[in-house]
Amino acid sequence: MLKIKNLKASIEGNEILRGIDLEINAGEVHAIMGPNGSGKSTLSAVIAGDENYTVDAGSIVLENEDLLDLDPDERAHRGVFLSFQYPVEIPGISVSNFMKAAINEKRKNLGMDPISAKDLLSKMRDKMELLNMKQGYLSRNMNEGFSGGEKKRNEIFQMAMLEPKLAILDETDSGLDIDALKIVANGVNKLKNKNNATIIITHYQRLLNHIVPDYVHVLHEGKIIKSGGRELALELEAKGYDWLTK
Amino acid sequence: MGLLDSIQKYQEKNLIKNDALNSFLNEGFPTIKKEEWKYTSLKKIISHDYLIEESSLDISSEEIESCSLNIGSKIVFVNGDLLKKPDLKGVKIKVNKFDNLSYNDEVTSLNAGLVKNGYVIEVDKNLQLDKPLEILFLNKNKSNTFIQYRNKVVVNENAHIKIIENIRNLNSEICFTNSVTEIDIKKNGNLEFNKLQDYNEFQNIIDTTNITQEEQSISTVNTLLFGGAFTRNNLNFIQNGTNCESNMNGIVILNNDEIGDNHTYVDHKKENCQSNELYKGIYLGKSKGVFNGKIMVRPDAQKINAFQANNNILLSENSSINSKPQLEIYADDVKCSHGCTIGQLDEKALFYLRTRGISKKDAMAILTFAFASEAIEKISIPELVVMTENLMEKKLDVKLSI
Repeated sequence: MLKIKNLKASIEGNEILRGIDLEINAGEVHAIMGPNGSGKSTLSAVIAGDENYTVDAGSIVLENEDLLDLDPDERAHRGVFLSFQYPVEIPGISVSNFMKAAINEKRKNLGMDPISAKDLLSKMRDKMELLNMKQGYLSRNMNEGFSGGEKKRNEIFQMAMLEPKLAILDETDSGLDIDALKIVANGVNKLKNKNNATIIITHYQRLLNHIVPDYVHVLHEGKIIKSGGRELALELEAKGYDWLTK
Repeated sequence: MGLLDSIQKYQEKNLIKNDALNSFLNEGFPTIKKEEWKYTSLKKIISHDYLIEESSLDISSEEIESCSLNIGSKIVFVNGDLLKKPDLKGVKIKVNKFDNLSYNDEVTSLNAGLVKNGYVIEVDKNLQLDKPLEILFLNKNKSNTFIQYRNKVVVNENAHIKIIENIRNLNSEICFTNSVTEIDIKKNGNLEFNKLQDYNEFQNIIDTTNITQEEQSISTVNTLLFGGAFTRNNLNFIQNGTNCESNMNGIVILNNDEIGDNHTYVDHKKENCQSNELYKGIYLGKSKGVFNGKIMVRPDAQKINAFQANNNILLSENSSINSKPQLEIYADDVKCSHGCTIGQLDEKALFYLRTRGISKKDAMAILTFAFASEAIEKISIPELVVMTENLMEKKLDVKLSI
């Protein structure tokens, strides 16, 4: 489904990604781990289309289409979703209005009519239940005054609403207590099916106890230096990254 | 040649003799050498010739209907004549007789010297009017025209009223309007005055609104400026009683070569009063904005709470804003805060929205709405909120599904 080939990217002249190769099939969960500064968040930003990064070489092909030719919104229409490490606060726009705008842009792109208020509300209610979210959440302003955990849950809520083909969870576990982590992981697991894929970007293996990956990749200095099954995550937890990077 | 010349000829032809006009002719129009007009030049506007106080083209009932907001009762002035007024118990609506007109600067003396159009509204004491009162001024001229309005609103003790002022010019010739509105709010009175300034590209306007307040009165002025070649608003509040509240909110969205200048002044003369000011400016194209907010706290005005904020975003390379807070405080027990910001839309927020499938244009519009929302929320008339949002969409050339 997703094929990344020799991806090189830089920001302000600093090379961050130095040739990434990665192939992900539908139905799979891939974890990308690595020490701070290894390029994990850059990889997620580049897949989503962050224009602050310059792509110097390579391709990111999703279902036979190179995402690098597309704007961030067009990538979203093709089914890419990024759960942000630091979701942005947008005062003045409620969660429900934001969701309505996002859903309707997607529908417009698919040649569909705008969603009815009733359908939107019932869908939002379903997804709120899935993520154990409180009443009143929909009328709050996007991420404004949300706790770290609420922000992350709000990201997964949007993912549930938008039903992406490829979801990238960037450090979704950071800032979550164990109960919130379980709720978020449970949500992600329920959204998994044979037609979509998930990339989990994480520093620790904690989240991987709850969302079990099919493959684990170690990113170091902008390259994938080791790939393996889920046992690799456990090994990293026990031994750290030093044995791989030295 | 030019407006000054047109005014002189008009004076001679009509044998007008009054102190106000003489006072104006001695001074002339203010130039950018005057501090109050430093960033806003009238030079181009007054270089044209104008017909003075003349309107001669018919306005159809369809045109009236299409300009009307239809959210309450309405007073309609067509080419200066009072065409229609509602029958509201406790509200006296008359054509202004223009007796004892006050003036204190060039534009108000010019207004006092020439004015022929305007209304007087008096709200009886204790009257609570739920539905807003719309005042629609329509004009249509066959050549460049200079018009004055002089209006007066008296809100008597304990009365509560909401007004929407809607000035429209249907010309395709230059219209220069010099409007002065005097508002008197008695003890415990409450007035919400909404200025819907959706002017067309031929409209130039200087709008002076002077509000005097007695004790425990509340006044709120929402200025909704969405277009017009040139708009200068002078909004002045004089607090003559204790425990007054003056609120002023503005939303300004301009594009192309439009110029919008909001000068506000709050004169805190008595103790235990407050003023709240929030102006949000959004500038596109080559538009130009000016904000000048002056707060005066006199020696007797202790325990004053004065809050002022002016936030601006420039959505284009060539737009500009000059923002200036001016605080003069002569009392020692006061709380005054002011802040002005000028910036662009947050790039991170823009990217965030776009990763959710929202196009760049819509994402910018959503963030612009979010930016203005704090000021929109101050409008208490739901229909006017919807209208404001529609006008914003039109101005930003988007149709949002939010």
